[in-house]
Amino acid sequence: MSWTTNLFLRLIPLILPYLALFCGGVFLTVCQSIGVLTPLPQDGGALDAYARLLTDRSFFASFGFSLGVAAVSAFFAVAVGTILAYRAWQLPGRLAHAALVYKIPLILPHIAVAFVVMVFWGQSGILASAAHWLGLIQSMNEFPNVLYSGWGIGMVLAYTLKGTPFAMLLVMALLARFDVRQIQTAAMLGASGLRIFSSIVLPRLAPAIHTGFIILFLYSFGAFDIPYLLSESRPGMLSIHVYNLYFKHDLARRPEAMAILTIMFGFAVLFIIAYTKVVRRLENGVRKL
Amino acid sequence: MKHVGTLLVLVIVFILPVIVLLLTGLAPGWRFPDVWPDRFSLKGIDYLVRHHDQILTSLGSSFVFSLLTVMLTLSMCLFPAAVFARVEFKGKALLEGLLLSPALVPPMTFAMGLHFLFIKLSLTETMVGVVVLLAMFSYPYMFRALVAGFQTMGEDYRMCARNLGAGTLAILLQVELPLLIPAAVAGGSVVFLVAFSEYFLVFLIGGGSVASFTGTLFPLLTSSNRSLAAILTLIFLILPILLFLAMDTAVGRLYRRKGML
Repeated sequence: MSWTTNLFLRLIPLILPYLALFCGGVFLTVCQSIGVLTPLPQDGGALDAYARLLTDRSFFASFGFSLGVAAVSAFFAVAVGTILAYRAWQLPGRLAHAALVYKIPLILPHIAVAFVVMVFWGQSGILASAAHWLGLIQSMNEFPNVLYSGWGIGMVLAYTLKGTPFAMLLVMALLARFDVRQIQTAAMLGASGLRIFSSIVLPRLAPAIHTGFIILFLYSFGAFDIPYLLSESRPGMLSIHVYNLYFKHDLARRPEAMAILTIMFGFAVLFIIAYTKVVRRLENGVRKL
Repeated sequence: MKHVGTLLVLVIVFILPVIVLLLTGLAPGWRFPDVWPDRFSLKGIDYLVRHHDQILTSLGSSFVFSLLTVMLTLSMCLFPAAVFARVEFKGKALLEGLLLSPALVPPMTFAMGLHFLFIKLSLTETMVGVVVLLAMFSYPYMFRALVAGFQTMGEDYRMCARNLGAGTLAILLQVELPLLIPAAVAGGSVVFLVAFSEYFLVFLIGGGSVASFTGTLFPLLTSSNRSLAAILTLIFLILPILLFLAMDTAVGRLYRRKGML
């Protein structure tokens, strides 16, 4: 047995399912988007579904909305997560164990985190009660309608709460290997806390921050669970749009649902490639110690 | 005290929700504008006890398919991870990127295409279908963890065992697998959580036949019975923690018995 065949054989348990199920799944999605293998034979051209989407203003609204929710929540999760991880890392020994509570939202499923957001931010929720107690509002209608504002704030809150510990986890892993003497040296040379964080700590954490952002951004962009509980009708997230087309409309709309998924897939792939390219270019400009 | 702020933020963001869930669970009538519930009752727990059949079934089902997903991802990734940790070959970085991509792209995009295939293969509404689908987008976490595990292990143990005359199988079972347990547990915990907490894809492939805890929880979250929803959410939190603690203790005990700690 040659060396290459041996190598290939050992990779097969992963490559076979990858090709058959992942690539195969995407292939079937694309097929159905052009009217092949759909439950109903499609009359008209192969690209009809795409043509219909591209002339549909609500599709672009949904796309933009999904991008916005994903970008804002991923940004906040990564920013808050990084700062909290850094502060938690500085906690002295015994308190550092207490910081492990950050893993709570990591364990809770997305729908449970959405529930927590509803309990806190609803107009009859805890925060409304607290505002009433403090005398800020007289009735629950005076509490800002955070969950149904039309801006997706509820979803952003849920994704941020769920994403923050994830970002913390990634950042903590890097901090564990961080050499404290670098910080001590900088402090002795008179650098301020902010300066130390931005010029010494942050560049070292960059890989975790970028990975975290890509994962959280793409997840919120395409996931279903949280929007299903917290989304408002218009503009909805793309995943909800797909769900409605797939399950609630007649079978003739199936290619449209699949076309949206195909576009989402293409966008995700392009985003990963573009993001890693930009990061690599930025990092080439940075002086390495 | 510069740490007070940090601790305060940690408590407000991560502990307060649990306290509120606990209170919601124990005080079904807790409403605006009460900041603190005026009456506690065990109605929620009572409901839980009366419907324990359904809840235990869905909980058990979720546990089983999540553990099966962990097993499946482990068997998919074990040998390839060894290759990626030890062998250099052309196109390795690209292949690694491709193999990790199922965790990054929205799982809906390939799952809904697969739905068609699973219907043809009669895999919908079966445990097998659910496990295979869950494994397909959670295996990258296992893969990354195992590659890292093989890298930290290095080649020395294997060489040493081989010099002492151990065969390939003996090396795998007696030397490498025990050393890989921490990495497998780390990767497995993430895979377990991903599988255990997924709602939509389990519902898509499993339909009504494969019970899941998220499926039981979901309708309650939007219902008026917040108390029960809060209790089930807390169960969701406690069970994985118990599982991880049990795993930790078991691994620790195993290592001590083998004299590795």
